[in-house]
Amino acid sequence: MTTTLTDRYVHAVQRSVPEARREEIGRELRSSIDDMVDARDDLDRDEAERVVLTDLGDPGVLAAQYADRPLHLIGPRYFLTYWRLMLRLLTWIPGAVALVVLTVVMIRNDSSADAVGAAVSAGFQAAVQVVFWTTVVFAVLERVDVDPGLPGWTVDALPDAPDERDISLVDTVTALVFIGLFGVVLVVQNFRSWVQGPDGEDVAVLDPALWSGWLPLLLAVLVANAALEVWKHREGRWTGPIVAATSVVSLAFALPFAWLAWRDSLLNPEFVDAVGMNERVLGYVNDGIVAGAVVIVLIEVVDALWKLRRRRLASA
Amino acid sequence: MEADDVVKTHLQELRRGTVVVASLTALREPGHGYALLQTLAGYGFAVDANTLYPLLRRLEDQGLLLSEWNTDESRPRKIYRTSLRGESVLAVLLEDMAAITSSIDRLTQGERS
Repeated sequence: MTTTLTDRYVHAVQRSVPEARREEIGRELRSSIDDMVDARDDLDRDEAERVVLTDLGDPGVLAAQYADRPLHLIGPRYFLTYWRLMLRLLTWIPGAVALVVLTVVMIRNDSSADAVGAAVSAGFQAAVQVVFWTTVVFAVLERVDVDPGLPGWTVDALPDAPDERDISLVDTVTALVFIGLFGVVLVVQNFRSWVQGPDGEDVAVLDPALWSGWLPLLLAVLVANAALEVWKHREGRWTGPIVAATSVVSLAFALPFAWLAWRDSLLNPEFVDAVGMNERVLGYVNDGIVAGAVVIVLIEVVDALWKLRRRRLASA
Repeated sequence: MEADDVVKTHLQELRRGTVVVASLTALREPGHGYALLQTLAGYGFAVDANTLYPLLRRLEDQGLLLSEWNTDESRPRKIYRTSLRGESVLAVLLEDMAAITSSIDRLTQGERS
């Protein structure tokens, strides 16, 4: 006996309904299909069968309706929780993983290009893992009949309305990242630079003698600068004390640089030799550093004063 | 064209629950799936077969319909009829439909005055 389209259709429905009711559903569906085919006596039998089965549609959908099974991965009951949780995880896990990998590879003394590559790749993989596992967990929750006791929404969860602030989170984070980078560069240049001395060892850019006083001071100023950025963000706008503190920190960082360059005790003499600077060029470089430090301080102070003035005009 | 789709969606939503009411009412007279489909179509309920058959099963699982296999005829058929429990649920549903209709009526009249 050859299998008919109806046989195949009924089989397709049966195989995805719970086993306990498979036979019953199959029997009932077959008799209903036969009734419907009989009713189409305007067509010959094969054609009628085709039309009827086409109308019934995808057997998978029908089976899902019989079995009361969702036809979506994550439904409205869980979707928002799923989405919020995933965004929250994605905001810090991949970045943290990338940072750890970056640090570890750097310490293992590989090239920094390798370190960045490894960090990006690890961060990306972490993101893929986060998305995959969160989705799997919620897709399973959608399909099992348990109350996971997830916290519901309350009015307390409402986000803060954006208040008028001059200093956005992006500004603060950018500033902190730059401060961090600067600190890392200050420290790392002592051990790893792009310049090798005569014996092939890396030569520090800044005079290592400065570690006994000036460099720790500069690092301390950077920490103070980071604290200032956080304070600024909490205030949300430029105020008199913040402008004053900004000026002080800016001066405290730039003046030592300028002073050391002025006295030609900033750059490491070994470094100067290794890159082949003569007396005259060294003089230019030192002058350049002094001028650069002064200009940066001026820009920062004027910018802070300007923003404070604008703020006062706006609120007046 | 787009407006038609909007109307179609709203009509679908409006009618979704009424299929249950119609089925419970029609199956006071015992009948099989396809016969019910025809009866409903005859009274202007355009239900798809692939919606109605799973629905009958669900109503049976909920105890609102009873069923038995009729093997008298050449083709065995599953005959459904409304159970006592189905009757009492139907009464509640009908009452609610009447309440909705009267609410809509009052709302419409309230607008006019």
